[in-house]
Amino acid sequence: MPFGVSIPSPPPTYLVHHLACWFQVSNKCWIHNGLSGFVPAKRRAMVLPLRASFWDSIKSGFLKNNNSTQVVEPPSTFMEEEDPFPQDIVLLEKNQPDGTFEQIIFSSAGDVDVYDVQALCDKVGWPRRPLTKIAASLKNSYLVATLHLISRSPGTEGIDQKQLIGMARATSDHAFNATIWDVLVDPSYQGQGLGKALVEQLIRVLLQRDIGNITLFADNKVVDFYKNLGFEADPEGIKGMFWYPRY
Amino acid sequence: MQSHGVLLPLRGPSSSLSLSRHLRRQLTLTSFHSSKASTRPRRLLLPVASAAFTVSDGELETRGFRVRRSSDGLDVAALNDVFARVGFPRRDPDRLRRALGHAGGAVVWVEEAKRGGGPGKPVAFARATGDGVFNAVVWDVVVEPSLQGMGLGRAVMERLVAELRRRGVSNIALYAEPRVVGFYRPLGFAADPDGIKGMVYSRRNQKKR
Repeated sequence: MPFGVSIPSPPPTYLVHHLACWFQVSNKCWIHNGLSGFVPAKRRAMVLPLRASFWDSIKSGFLKNNNSTQVVEPPSTFMEEEDPFPQDIVLLEKNQPDGTFEQIIFSSAGDVDVYDVQALCDKVGWPRRPLTKIAASLKNSYLVATLHLISRSPGTEGIDQKQLIGMARATSDHAFNATIWDVLVDPSYQGQGLGKALVEQLIRVLLQRDIGNITLFADNKVVDFYKNLGFEADPEGIKGMFWYPRY
Repeated sequence: MQSHGVLLPLRGPSSSLSLSRHLRRQLTLTSFHSSKASTRPRRLLLPVASAAFTVSDGELETRGFRVRRSSDGLDVAALNDVFARVGFPRRDPDRLRRALGHAGGAVVWVEEAKRGGGPGKPVAFARATGDGVFNAVVWDVVVEPSLQGMGLGRAVMERLVAELRRRGVSNIALYAEPRVVGFYRPLGFAADPDGIKGMVYSRRNQKKR
């Protein structure tokens, strides 16, 4: 199966917090999108809440949160208030028996190398597509979300392994509708609830951006998976149709 | 919408290349896994100019309808009026303009020629979103109710599909209300192929954890 129908046995362990402490790391690991060079600096700002001013945090709280009367908490939760819309979220953290520290990180920044994408598609068994087309499809997507596994081995200070283990993207008209395509999870990491987390976070970002109509086309075998995430098939009898599909 | 009852593929010089239901194309869908195809047939790009539409641009012109292929000159307020008359919700004009203007999208509409020249009102409309290479989704297909049944809906759909295919997009999808499934079928659209379901997110559906 190309995509993890994650029938998660244990519920996913969610450690959702900001990536402030990893900014240094991410500078080294998240090099560039394969074809278009370094990510512009302004995107990095979203991942760096360290120096945000107190007044910025209050302002963003008022403008973006629903509970505008929310009191800004004392410093212990200050980090949470600073950046209400982080691009990167740590989903899982684990210390391996051999001392390796691992994190699985969701990102909506779309920093992804086309070669990594192709490798992931290979792993899930998809037929090969031209790299230029993959690159174009990513560039023209409204949102590209990724799951990366970051591994830090003991004794290799500052040098991390970064591996793309999941991806999903959405096309959109930037105003009303979005359609989710190509939800992929590396088979070695399926069964842990990562596919679920990936789609949930993707939905979260789309809703934050005020895209009200989120759609997708689901293979028969994964309809239930998406139902559990809040999707409805044939709402009000509306049918998904395709132009001359290959049977 | 009147259905023509017969499956009519786009005619044209490429008709020798099979446009039947066995046209082999790769679908890129959420979780859809097409079988490995080590060799895929080269697709002939169908140039818009030589595609034979059911009713040509020229014929439409003689009837007082002009085909427009970009959102330039599209009166958003008038489009909203058509939306309202077909029972769609009106859209916020700024958001509608944003939706029409974004890169990667395609728009085809029919303008009712105004006596004395000048921009005419939209009487048929269709737009598509997508990634420009693999997938496209068609939205907001409307025809002014008083002008339905004349083939204007078919006209915009044929041209929109032709444009998407010209760009190389092989997977063209849409969501059809039950009463218009019959309109899309003769245009070459099939519902739930291979059991694939169109799904929509609804906040109230989300299971509590």
